[in-house]
Amino acid sequence: MNRNPGRVILLGASGFIGAAIGRRLAALAVPVVAVSSKEVNLADAAAAEKLAALIKPADAVVMIAAITPDKGRDAAALIRNLTLMQSVCKAIETTGCAHLVYFSSDAIYGTAVSRVTEDTPACPQDLYGAMHYAREIMARNLANVPVLVLRPTLVYGLDDTHNSYGPNRFRRAAQKDGRITLFGNGEDIRDHIHVDDVAALTARCLLAKTTGLLNVVTGISRSFYEIAEIVARQFASPVEIIATPRANPITQRHYDVTNLIKAFPDFRFTPPADGIARVHRQMIEADPCRK
Amino acid sequence: MQAVLGFAGMTHLGLVSGIAAAEKGFTVVCYDPDAARIAALARGELPVSEPRLDELAAKNKPRLAFAAASSALKACDVVFVAPDVATDDQGNSSLDTIDNLLDAVFAATREDAVIVVLSQVPPGFTRGKQRENRMLYYQVETLIFGRAVERALLPERYIVGCADPSAPLPAAYATTLAQYACPVLPMRYESAELAKISINMCLVASVSVANTLAELCENIGADWAEIVPALKLDKRIGAYSYLAPGLGIAGGNLERDLATVCSFADRYGTDAGVVRAWVANSRHRRDWALRTVYREVLSKLDDPVIAVLGLAYKQDTHSIKNSPSIALLEYLKPFRVRVFDPVVPGSAAPNPRRHDATSELDACTGADALVVMTPWPQFGKLNPAAIAQCMQGRVAIDPYAILNAGECQSAGLRRLTLGVRP
Repeated sequence: MNRNPGRVILLGASGFIGAAIGRRLAALAVPVVAVSSKEVNLADAAAAEKLAALIKPADAVVMIAAITPDKGRDAAALIRNLTLMQSVCKAIETTGCAHLVYFSSDAIYGTAVSRVTEDTPACPQDLYGAMHYAREIMARNLANVPVLVLRPTLVYGLDDTHNSYGPNRFRRAAQKDGRITLFGNGEDIRDHIHVDDVAALTARCLLAKTTGLLNVVTGISRSFYEIAEIVARQFASPVEIIATPRANPITQRHYDVTNLIKAFPDFRFTPPADGIARVHRQMIEADPCRK
Repeated sequence: MQAVLGFAGMTHLGLVSGIAAAEKGFTVVCYDPDAARIAALARGELPVSEPRLDELAAKNKPRLAFAAASSALKACDVVFVAPDVATDDQGNSSLDTIDNLLDAVFAATREDAVIVVLSQVPPGFTRGKQRENRMLYYQVETLIFGRAVERALLPERYIVGCADPSAPLPAAYATTLAQYACPVLPMRYESAELAKISINMCLVASVSVANTLAELCENIGADWAEIVPALKLDKRIGAYSYLAPGLGIAGGNLERDLATVCSFADRYGTDAGVVRAWVANSRHRRDWALRTVYREVLSKLDDPVIAVLGLAYKQDTHSIKNSPSIALLEYLKPFRVRVFDPVVPGSAAPNPRRHDATSELDACTGADALVVMTPWPQFGKLNPAAIAQCMQGRVAIDPYAILNAGECQSAGLRRLTLGVRP
């Protein structure tokens, strides 16, 4: 049952995923207050007060603002990220809100777990994962606020700035050097989700006022070699896929999306071949010289 | 002289056991404090569906007395207290009914009457109910939904929980059990109560093996149906072992024992990790049909029509408790569904866009996909060509392999079954 989410306060609106959510909500004519660090720097001492002036009790709040791992995975980044969340929680403690969607990460799961469901115990292996787990708890501790925690897996899309190992880095490397370098033979298996699917699912959750926990994943995992091949196929000129000696053991990660299907049985994920092709087209449209 | 038997609690277990005892030649008093239930039974209206049950009830009517007054139990030499013990969604038992019924039976029976708890109770229950100068026993029942009459008439053995297992059983009770000509195993109350749970844990372990390996088969390209006969010829596993893959554990009784074991393990600090893994695997496999419907239909078609054959939790029963079919339909609420079950009415399904079909083929008419959710034997007689002709789509999700594989292939149906890669 879809309900009008009223107004959505989007914290972290200028980021890769935040911007996609903003676009999706705009397309659905959902009123959005886009908040980036330019409007409210959540690290500032006065941020909670500023934010409280923005949020109305009937609003839904999407919290996706974070210092991303590419900008730091150390203790300083952890503390800074907790400060951002503290500002948000303080504001919501004052104002209340109708729905809080907190964007966490699948980094909260142990790397050795090969099959993940929402029931898989959290076992963060680094400070980035621990940070998200702590922020999840901060969100859930808010009294009288319906909370949804979303844990996205590897997200790809044109505007991704993280350049982590996967479709985004492969595309850039193929475009720049004509080759993609894999860890080992690219045997590691992961679930990759297109940013538009993340945005569409988030919008669905806002409309349905979903609470609890959902992994934001497609349920179909592929090896990095397969992903590299799909990326390579997009280019007119041959792209070399290079194997390197493996430094770490192979890890394989599959997600059970049963809970997502139960929540949104008519949702359709973008298959990786289509998603990667879409990103490639967008890249060319943005810069026709990059074929 | 043959003992007069009483059965208290006229739900599934008590009713089947009482009618089976009458078939064995005993004079039987069937007692339940619910007067409306007793009146219906006296009219021959049975609230449960089991093969041969109606026939045996009618045949043995002269030996069956139905009573809503507990005073009728005064005539009985042995009284079996056998109400179905209800469980919640987590498998936790509610013991209020049996507590009350047992009190009533103690009060109404003669002091020399033997009282036997037949319901499924947690370890420690029977000892806690002992009364001075009264004879109380616990007897393990192994009722199987859909095979209850057969099991009640031809038990494999009787497991009897006693206050003192070294003492002989009272004559009336011993001669009653002897009538069934099977081994009798007396043991202390707690052992008997845990024996019942142990039997069910063995069954769950087998089913969990089947479900776990069947899922691998679906991915590796093996066929579990080819593997099962090889396992059954292994004496350590056995010809009657539970190796059919299914849609999780359903029906309520096995779930109850899983919950009981976990609860006792928590209380005593013993390890129940494997039991919790069985529960998780059961939940995972229950959603096989939903995942398959999603992969084959929902993720591909706009506003599909889905035919669902079977609502009962398994064949030959009216019960929908923890039914995988009802669980599937719960998540198909946004879609058009056409449902049919030989016993359970369509109204048991929670779907607003539901057509209550009058036959299997009526359910299939215009459907994009067919899902056979209960392995009723009559579904196996359906002609896949006729099904294909009625349907709009070609997807036949048949977890229990009820439909004929070759005929489905000839009819152009894409048949998806547990334990084998499509």
